[in-house]
Amino acid sequence: MLLTAAEPWPENATLYQPLTEDQILLSDCASSLAVQAYLRMCGLPVQVVSRANAEYMSPSGKIPFIHVGNQVVSELGPIVQFTKAKGHSLSDGLDDVQRAEMKAYMELVNNMLLTAELYIQWCDDATAAEISRPRYSSPYSWPLSNILAYQKQWEVRRKMNAIGWGGKTLEQVYEDVSQCCQALSQRLGTQPYFFNKQPTELDALVFGHLFTILTTRLTNSELAERIKSYSNLLSFCKRIEQTYFEDKSS
Amino acid sequence: MAAAMELRCWGGDWGLPSVHTESLIVLAYAKFSGAKVTVSPIDWTWKTLTAAVPELLCGETAVQEPTHILNFLRKQRFNADYELTARQGADTMAYIALLEEKLRPALLHTFWVDAENYTNLTRPWFASRSPFPLNFLVPSHHANTALSRILLTKGEAPLHRISEVEGKIYSDAKECLNLLSYRLGTADYFFGNSPTSLDAFVFGFVAPLHKARLPSGPLQSHLRLLDNLTRFCDTVLSVYFSSDHPCPSPPVQETVDANLQKLTQLVNKESNLIEKMDDNLRSSPQHKPHRPDPKHGLVSEKSSTPA
Repeated sequence: MLLTAAEPWPENATLYQPLTEDQILLSDCASSLAVQAYLRMCGLPVQVVSRANAEYMSPSGKIPFIHVGNQVVSELGPIVQFTKAKGHSLSDGLDDVQRAEMKAYMELVNNMLLTAELYIQWCDDATAAEISRPRYSSPYSWPLSNILAYQKQWEVRRKMNAIGWGGKTLEQVYEDVSQCCQALSQRLGTQPYFFNKQPTELDALVFGHLFTILTTRLTNSELAERIKSYSNLLSFCKRIEQTYFEDKSS
Repeated sequence: MAAAMELRCWGGDWGLPSVHTESLIVLAYAKFSGAKVTVSPIDWTWKTLTAAVPELLCGETAVQEPTHILNFLRKQRFNADYELTARQGADTMAYIALLEEKLRPALLHTFWVDAENYTNLTRPWFASRSPFPLNFLVPSHHANTALSRILLTKGEAPLHRISEVEGKIYSDAKECLNLLSYRLGTADYFFGNSPTSLDAFVFGFVAPLHKARLPSGPLQSHLRLLDNLTRFCDTVLSVYFSSDHPCPSPPVQETVDANLQKLTQLVNKESNLIEKMDDNLRSSPQHKPHRPDPKHGLVSEKSSTPA
């Protein structure tokens, strides 16, 4: 019933993200890497294309988005559902309780890690001035660059205030990230993936965020240091990189 | 012992000790962990506008927000999570994140944004509990905060209208309730036989939805279909918040007893597993009946000869 209506995955599927060298920021890079990891785990080929206006092309305003056939889907959640409708899924083998756990841990990553990344990028004055604003507005000339950068910063700060992160200090945010990593580390234990032998979308999401944090240079490396203290998470990232992203480095 | 602790929170109605989610979480956790907390409702005082609710006052310190209050209580040795494993502690964090992301927007919408519920239930309740002239300010202030929170977190850039987000937040919330129901299964509490902080959070989120007399409640009707969640709320209410029964004592916090308990649990689990294997073996069609293995008789309660 599913496959008759859906077309098979085409060869020319593309994933759009902002410019890798100059423009993309930590949180967008993490989300994009998570989607790329997920598609590689499913064995679905996708071409990564960098565009300066990727954020505006996206149907929901969020990065990344994929263009498959004549459909455009953005963000990991909807993309997972989209691939499921085409018959590719990583979490079919899980029972109801495990699926509940998987969804809960994905929300934990979104709630803590992604929010912390956004906070550090836009609410920490040093990072915002040195890294985020220049990078975000690099494709545009003055005065548009200033306007867009400050608009984005204002938007993110409003959101942080609404969810109660506005009053947090940087130290508290680092502490939250540590706790989140501790929870992930304890859940992972000594297994190769979160649900033992097979990777799921949770593994893709965690990999995307942790790998990006470890390999991105910020004003200080406190965030990366906190993650490095959990050795099983480090080997988890390395394992996924070697298994699914091997051809990239060659 | 610890100084006397006072909790400022919204008052109760509809059979609940408090109608406010965060206050309920703290009240439930205090009961689970055996902390003696004096409850002082802020109803009919100016604190309805000025205080950040809930707030725990202990001597000189004032702590706000449920997570911080729970941490504070744990430091004061009122710990309902003492018997959790590290992995269960991680699961607690994950499920709380799930509640915050998926269920909270829909609850805010049901109580504060949905026009019928707001005008017929929420606003009159909060207005009647606030002194003049705050009864004009407090409900609309909360409603505006709720609406802006929903739009900022769930509304994507071009969709700044609430009607376009409603469908998504309600389907997310229904899925969240289903997931909680799967996780709870047939157990009384989420982890074992005694309630923990996760139970407090789930109770705080789900109980108002279960008990409030909402004029328009698609989410409430969905919750009514999930028997185990409604039974969970009723169990917590009858065991911990009923004025007739005394509260059960919180788990003993001595390390020796905890280790012994863990060992007993492990032995029981092993014996259950062995009994199950034995059952499977007996009911298997290829199995030829024979006398049970004597070494399994250590903890088996079944008689060794068939009737």
